[in-house]
Amino acid sequence: MNQQLPMVIVVLPLFGTIAGFCTGWWARKMPFILAIMALGGSFTGAVVVASGVMKTGPLHYHISGWIPPFGIEYRIDHLNALLLVLISFLALATAVYARSSVEKEMPDRVFLFWCLYLLLITGLLGIAVTGDLFNLFVLLEVASLAGYALVAAGDRRAAVAGFRYLVIGTVGACFYLLGVGYLYIATGTLNIKDLAVLLPPLYGSGTVITAFIFILAGLAIKIALFPFHAWQPDAYTHAPSAVSVIISTAAAKTFTYALIRVMFSVFTIDFMRSNAPMTGVVCWTGAASIIIGSVYAIAQDNLKRMLAYSSIANVGYLVLGIGLCGATSLGLKPVVVHLVNHALIKGAMFMAACAVIYRQELRHISGLQGLSRQMPVTALMLVLASLSMIGLPPGGGFVSKWYLILASIESGQWGFVAVIFVSTLLMLVYFWRVIEMIYIRPPLSEPAPVTRWSGEQPLGMMIPCVVLSVLSFAIGLVWMSGALDGLIQGVNLNFGLGGVP
Amino acid sequence: MRLIGFIIVCICGGLLLYGTSEFPDWGDPASPASTHLSNDYIEKAFDQTQVPNLVTAVLADYRGFDTMFETAVVFCAGLACLLLLRDYSRKKERFYRHVPTGVILQVKHPEKKLPVGTEFEYMDKDWVPSDLIIKNVCRILIPFIQIYALYVVAHGDFSPGGGFQGGVIFGSSLILLAISYNLRTLVQRVKEKALGILCALGVLVYVGIGALCMPLGGNFLDYSALTRIIPWDPHHIRAYGMLGVEIGVGIAVMAVMVVIYINIASEGRHDEGL
Repeated sequence: MNQQLPMVIVVLPLFGTIAGFCTGWWARKMPFILAIMALGGSFTGAVVVASGVMKTGPLHYHISGWIPPFGIEYRIDHLNALLLVLISFLALATAVYARSSVEKEMPDRVFLFWCLYLLLITGLLGIAVTGDLFNLFVLLEVASLAGYALVAAGDRRAAVAGFRYLVIGTVGACFYLLGVGYLYIATGTLNIKDLAVLLPPLYGSGTVITAFIFILAGLAIKIALFPFHAWQPDAYTHAPSAVSVIISTAAAKTFTYALIRVMFSVFTIDFMRSNAPMTGVVCWTGAASIIIGSVYAIAQDNLKRMLAYSSIANVGYLVLGIGLCGATSLGLKPVVVHLVNHALIKGAMFMAACAVIYRQELRHISGLQGLSRQMPVTALMLVLASLSMIGLPPGGGFVSKWYLILASIESGQWGFVAVIFVSTLLMLVYFWRVIEMIYIRPPLSEPAPVTRWSGEQPLGMMIPCVVLSVLSFAIGLVWMSGALDGLIQGVNLNFGLGGVP
Repeated sequence: MRLIGFIIVCICGGLLLYGTSEFPDWGDPASPASTHLSNDYIEKAFDQTQVPNLVTAVLADYRGFDTMFETAVVFCAGLACLLLLRDYSRKKERFYRHVPTGVILQVKHPEKKLPVGTEFEYMDKDWVPSDLIIKNVCRILIPFIQIYALYVVAHGDFSPGGGFQGGVIFGSSLILLAISYNLRTLVQRVKEKALGILCALGVLVYVGIGALCMPLGGNFLDYSALTRIIPWDPHHIRAYGMLGVEIGVGIAVMAVMVVIYINIASEGRHDEGL
């Protein structure tokens, strides 16, 4: 049965959707219970699979029993395993968190929320394990479609935000599909492993280069990299709380993973090197994303919107790391580290920010005065996660930036070191406003006598929030202790990175 | 802004044309797409699956997993439609026509209903008196359309067709009913919950057949594992497995189409509309 686990992980949430949809018409609580069971099962499975991969190397699973280029295969290497654990963990934490918030935000459609939520997770988990480019597209559609619907179910302006997300996201998916089509015409296969074998003689071909550019642009839209980010701030701001949390963490990180997979498994680092300007463009787009995202974040007063722009900056970090990885001995280390760190930090931040909206209806930073009295735990978590992101050692953000700076220095790109320093300063500016409002400014009015804890979020929302923000600090220690170095080495080995440049 | 858009479109179009410049010739038998995998599919598919229609064999067996998620996408569209359009608020007013006098009554109280029959009749928002000829022609046509839909589903293995097409035809027969009579006729005959269950059931048939193969010792969707419970030749069983999933697809597509139509036509209120 153990060898069936990769499939079980993906199919469990799908079964959860179906069962939840059938029972939800009559039993209102059932979909939530089913969701927790399905996601719990997926998480356990993911941990087992990940430990198996760490021990014995990449796993293969041939769907329908056909040998790979003919059928579809699941291929799980170190990066996939890490992603699986990360997605299923975040999905589970968000599901626990979502229970109260969904009851408040869409009381008459709770079961539909859970069904679409599980479909979204199915899509993300599927992307994280698949070894086939077209299968990746289909799952991208499942995840995106569920995402559009969930975003549009948010507050009064969410329908417009969701529609924008739908239109721009579909353009992104089309670009990706066009790219895959071009690759198919050039090689006649869709299997990632097979493509990596067939493509090298064709690296100079116009068809292949066009395919690369289109896939890159399509996925850049999905991860909201700077010139393609127009849909993202609105979608994150107006989506329901739980949806903001999940699409800013698990979904964004999965699409980033897809980008890494295409760039280094389908095209390999040799393609990037043989088309040298490509790496420069990727790096500088990342750098521009970092600076512009941070500058826009400073200009925002809406807390969720500020976090959304901060996500654009952090996607810039990831893309910068991806661009640099061929030139350093660290390889993908900064990227993988930041992928995990940012997912945890942003998750904690959105959870805290949405809890403030849930309890106090406070959406603006300028209204947060006195929050430390009314919601002490939430305020503390928000600040903790902010400090972690700014880069207070030993937080996750510190480790990410440390490795990214090392990578920049090693590849001799001092400009990027400056970019990272400047962005850290900008980050300090926009998070300091939050910290100042919460802890330093006196509350506008004297709170009523019993308010000290009364405004706190419900326990079900608080626990995931606390877990994520504590983890966002603890993960920094884990990275520094070297406990996960084996994983990183595995990732670099699979992509042929991290050697002497 | 328009200028920027135009420039971007030009760049994209130019890139696409540049990409096509190195395409193999149209229909070139030596092109990679026709040599790498296609030959194996063409030579082996019939022996391996006993399905004469190669397209079906590739879609429902070799790449059946993609098709499963395509069905999930359709299901997702139905769910999204329900989530976003379905209006559960009970604040609705009804219109009735008093048949003998032709007076139109507006009932604002959501719970109050007038007895509909000889004296009163529903007055839908976009109500148009339906034509006798249209009604009768459609009434005769609908059963034939439905039989044809079942034929298309069942014959997916042998000729062009399959679950998606058959489901769409069946769904459109129900929509024809709603157009030629009125939406209320359809909503009364096919209950919302039944439609919802059918959507999920269609996907469940597909995923269920796939998952059933796992405890029987095969991988997911490996139909040949089904020989453990149905003693049949392992190649023929693949054809029947495909038929099974096609039926699932057909059910899901049919139900989702009707759900989407009802929700859009009635603005999510499921009682009146086109």
